[in-house]
Amino acid sequence: MRMFNFAKRNFKELIRDPLSLVFQIVLPIFLLFIFQQFNIPAENYKLENFTPGIILFGFSFVSLFTATLISKDRSSSLLIRLGTSPMKSSDYILGYIVSLIPIIIIQDILFFVVAWLLGLSFSINIIFTILISMIVSILFIALGILIGSLVSERGTGGIGSIVVQLVCFTSGMYFPKESVGGFFAKVCEILPFESCLNIIKGILNNNLDIILTGNIVIFSLYTIVVLIVSIIVFKKKMISDNK
Amino acid sequence: MYSIETRQLTKKFKEKVAVDEINLQIKKGELFALLGTNGAGKTTTIKMLSGLILPTSGDIEIENMDMKKDIFKIKEILNVSPQETAIAPNLTVKENLEFMAGVYQISNKEKKIDELIKQFKLEEILNKKAKTLSGGWQRRLSIAISLINNPKILFLDEPTLGLDVIARKELWKVINELKGKITIILTTHYMEEAESLSDRIGIMANGKLVDVGTSEDLIKKTKTNNFEDAFVSIATGGKL
Repeated sequence: MRMFNFAKRNFKELIRDPLSLVFQIVLPIFLLFIFQQFNIPAENYKLENFTPGIILFGFSFVSLFTATLISKDRSSSLLIRLGTSPMKSSDYILGYIVSLIPIIIIQDILFFVVAWLLGLSFSINIIFTILISMIVSILFIALGILIGSLVSERGTGGIGSIVVQLVCFTSGMYFPKESVGGFFAKVCEILPFESCLNIIKGILNNNLDIILTGNIVIFSLYTIVVLIVSIIVFKKKMISDNK
Repeated sequence: MYSIETRQLTKKFKEKVAVDEINLQIKKGELFALLGTNGAGKTTTIKMLSGLILPTSGDIEIENMDMKKDIFKIKEILNVSPQETAIAPNLTVKENLEFMAGVYQISNKEKKIDELIKQFKLEEILNKKAKTLSGGWQRRLSIAISLINNPKILFLDEPTLGLDVIARKELWKVINELKGKITIILTTHYMEEAESLSDRIGIMANGKLVDVGTSEDLIKKTKTNNFEDAFVSIATGGKL
């Protein structure tokens, strides 16, 4: 199938970029390790709460490198060549999404192995968390497709790092929104990252009570809207880039 | 029977007419060069003929198929080597060929890839990443990739742009070997390239196809001494 052929190529492009591996895998593992050495007496930094944050942090780099790959393909004329081939729009979008699934699985497995070595007890919930995180990752992949379709190769670094910062500060991985409160807490609620973290955290800790209906609604809405918008923008940009 | 035929082919971008009612017939196996100054409409014409963008009006027939109705069938039988080398940078030369063979769902993939490796003498760079190759090798790979589906029609957009004289002559040799076997549409800014390689030349100016003929025909018609002067005379409407 053309889609799998395209996904295979995208996967190779991503894993052969050393920077992509450093930021998507090595940096989150380093943060997971280093923060456990500090013994910070806060709930957020307990392994069972911080590991889900690290998963989300890793996903933010998935957005960044997806955006870089797409903007590179646009600037190198590869998409012009492919545009004259019998590939359909669905082959491109699914090809980008499918290529990132193995990276998400590799990330999750490595993060949990390191967390286990640091003291996280193994349970079946880890498997469920990996499965749920694959669904959560669709939002981050769609964000990457959207950014990569809109901005140039140079711009992806800047815009992508905004996603990374938003995940760090608004997801609640480092500190709870209540510690700042006010307008900031409202922003955290409106953006999808806190909801993503609550979903992953709730599944890992078998504590479904922390996953609010609002979390599911916000995550689902963002994922559906960003995915649809990214497909429309990608298709539009592919045509307009060729004008 | 023509390989490519257009009737009143027009492309407008908002108010700007990029291609203006072009009527063109290109025979099977012909190497047709499309020349013009910057902004004359060559690239837009090629993009419409290769199915990348849709015309505003007019018709395109490729191997007796209508572009509007049979675009996916047409895309199976043509290929393009774009102006910028369109290759996957982190893939090796062999992987690039395999990737494009997958895009066209080539059944006897290994055989076709081996054939192209021999034809383009890619043996020595086969396992090198595409991004590490010189401009000449990248262009050679780009053209090799464009033959992966045994196209009946091949579009070469500025194939030798930016190459040194030796790399350019080597590519001319490759293009000459393809002549007669497939229909080739070539765009170039190098007059000697068009003169040396093509069977016929079409000259575009301000979106219109102003003249078509062999280089000798065009020199004779403009009463000039060489093809470059003939081109300048036609492209400027005799003002220069």
